[in-house]
Amino acid sequence: MGLREYVIRRLIQLVIAIFLFITIMFFIFRLMPGDPLSLVIEEFAIDPEARERLIKLWGLDKPPLEQYFIYIRNLLTGDLGVSFVYHEPVADVIISRKLLNTLALLISSHGMAMFLGMILGVWAAWRRGTAIDMAALTTSLILHSIPIFWLGIVFLMIFAVKYRLFPLAGTITPAKTFENIFEYIGDYLWHMFLPMMTITVIRLGSDFLIMRNTMISVTKEDYIVTAMAKGLPEKVIIWKHAARNAMLPIVTLAGLDMATVVSGAVLTESVFSWDGIGRLIYEAAIYRDFPVLQGVFFLIVVVVLVANFLTDLMYAYLDPRVRYE
Amino acid sequence: MTVLRKERRGDKLERLREFWYIYSRNKLGVIGLAILTIYIAIAVLAPVIAPYDPKARIGSPMEPPSPKHLLGTDELGRDILSLVIYGARISLLVGVLAATITMIIGTLIGILAGYFGRFIDDILMRITDLFLVIPGLPLIIVLAVVLGPSIWNIILVIALISWPTTARLVRSETLSLKERMFVNASRVAGASDFYILAKHIIPNVLPIISATMVLNVVNAIILEAGLSFLGLGDPTHISWGTMLYFANRQGAFLSDNPMYIIAPGLALVGIGLAFVFISYALDEVVNPKLRREGI
Repeated sequence: MGLREYVIRRLIQLVIAIFLFITIMFFIFRLMPGDPLSLVIEEFAIDPEARERLIKLWGLDKPPLEQYFIYIRNLLTGDLGVSFVYHEPVADVIISRKLLNTLALLISSHGMAMFLGMILGVWAAWRRGTAIDMAALTTSLILHSIPIFWLGIVFLMIFAVKYRLFPLAGTITPAKTFENIFEYIGDYLWHMFLPMMTITVIRLGSDFLIMRNTMISVTKEDYIVTAMAKGLPEKVIIWKHAARNAMLPIVTLAGLDMATVVSGAVLTESVFSWDGIGRLIYEAAIYRDFPVLQGVFFLIVVVVLVANFLTDLMYAYLDPRVRYE
Repeated sequence: MTVLRKERRGDKLERLREFWYIYSRNKLGVIGLAILTIYIAIAVLAPVIAPYDPKARIGSPMEPPSPKHLLGTDELGRDILSLVIYGARISLLVGVLAATITMIIGTLIGILAGYFGRFIDDILMRITDLFLVIPGLPLIIVLAVVLGPSIWNIILVIALISWPTTARLVRSETLSLKERMFVNASRVAGASDFYILAKHIIPNVLPIISATMVLNVVNAIILEAGLSFLGLGDPTHISWGTMLYFANRQGAFLSDNPMYIIAPGLALVGIGLAFVFISYALDEVVNPKLRREGI
């Protein structure tokens, strides 16, 4: 099988997988108890006439199967529908309102955790078995058992309530006018600091463990022994020879993490009222905002599968054996 | 025949002793086991230890800690210490049950895929991979809303989302096991697939996935806490997650009783730690490569 055939086969599989996933999710959403209207009506006290119009407008008077075909037809034309709650196109809600906040929060915290995890992991692996290494290892195991939302609340209690260093909630100070863009960014970062630290601390534990364990197995390789025998300085061996190769698994994992990055951090975003995708998913589930749920899960599955597809392609390109599997 | 049986039993005892010998040298593993024993004792003896009935309103709302209420009271005037003590029951129940169901689903799928291979493997692994890369919490939230808030539904939902890691692991172990001598010998002797799976594959796969199974307990406990914290938990049961949900809604972090937030959280960290340590130690026992001196 040539590369071209391989790509075509994988592409077909990709489209089928996306299609199956969004189909299953569409019907799962329809299984949610209670209808979206009752929740909206309770909150905004809409009169019966408007209710009828909304039902027509949202297509909820049609049987689910017909709704499904309309959904697929609209999706093919790039139309994700209109949010029941925001009364705006779903694409606008996701992209212009929420996605940027989530990307800012998650890319910065995941990046920082990866960076610190790599350095600490290399450092601990080189001192394997010493008291410091054991302390770091135990700490990372403890981090694995801390619920992230609880750490977030504790951070709020200490840094926002007790010492008043950071704000309690939100992405930006409400009703404040900013002199210039830098002031705006400063305010934004000030709000982002605590949620970012929360995610970084929790992720640091697992990133550290992965890096440390890969580093330990790399240091047993012959080329490290050779480098030592040549009398190279320790720093050169650690960073140039060992760490560079030990980085591969953690970098691969970061690629697979794309899905988590676009789906946001539901719990952390809830604790800090961070206006991102995670909270959007939660709210949409509570308010039965089907179009938003469909939109977000569509985004997630496309990002996940396309990222996987590209990784596979890269492997197939680099390693011809994959193609003949 | 009787001699053989006896020998086998002796063998098992010997293996158990060897297992304990290696396990007990791992300090973290022993600490984890000790913490777990305390939690189990608290869960079982809750009615004896708890100073008050956790559902009774025995004080005024949001009392700070006092000799009468060591951790204060919640917004309904219930004793927080008693609530925390009873919470151990739900956490252990959810953790162990969800992890067990996860293990059953994961083992079944992994074994079917690994043992029968071909298109069964293809289909099952595509599904597994999809579940593996789709973020779990959004799916869990959707399913929890669909099924409604009950402790059994939460256990089921957690298991439905958590099995792929186990399935992957079981599949790769099955793949290597099914080519081993004793399995081939059994097949040549005319053993059925079912017999081989039940007698050879499953008993050999289970010890290897034991560390993952224990880690699944931690993940289930933390997931339940997270779901309950979002208000999607079972309101009729006391769990540390639901406590944190109400504490957060009451703005307990602004009040003068931080124990309302600290206590259930620390309880969660403690039980998680016990299982994480045990899992870590088990990993060393079944993977001799990881063993090291000292810890």
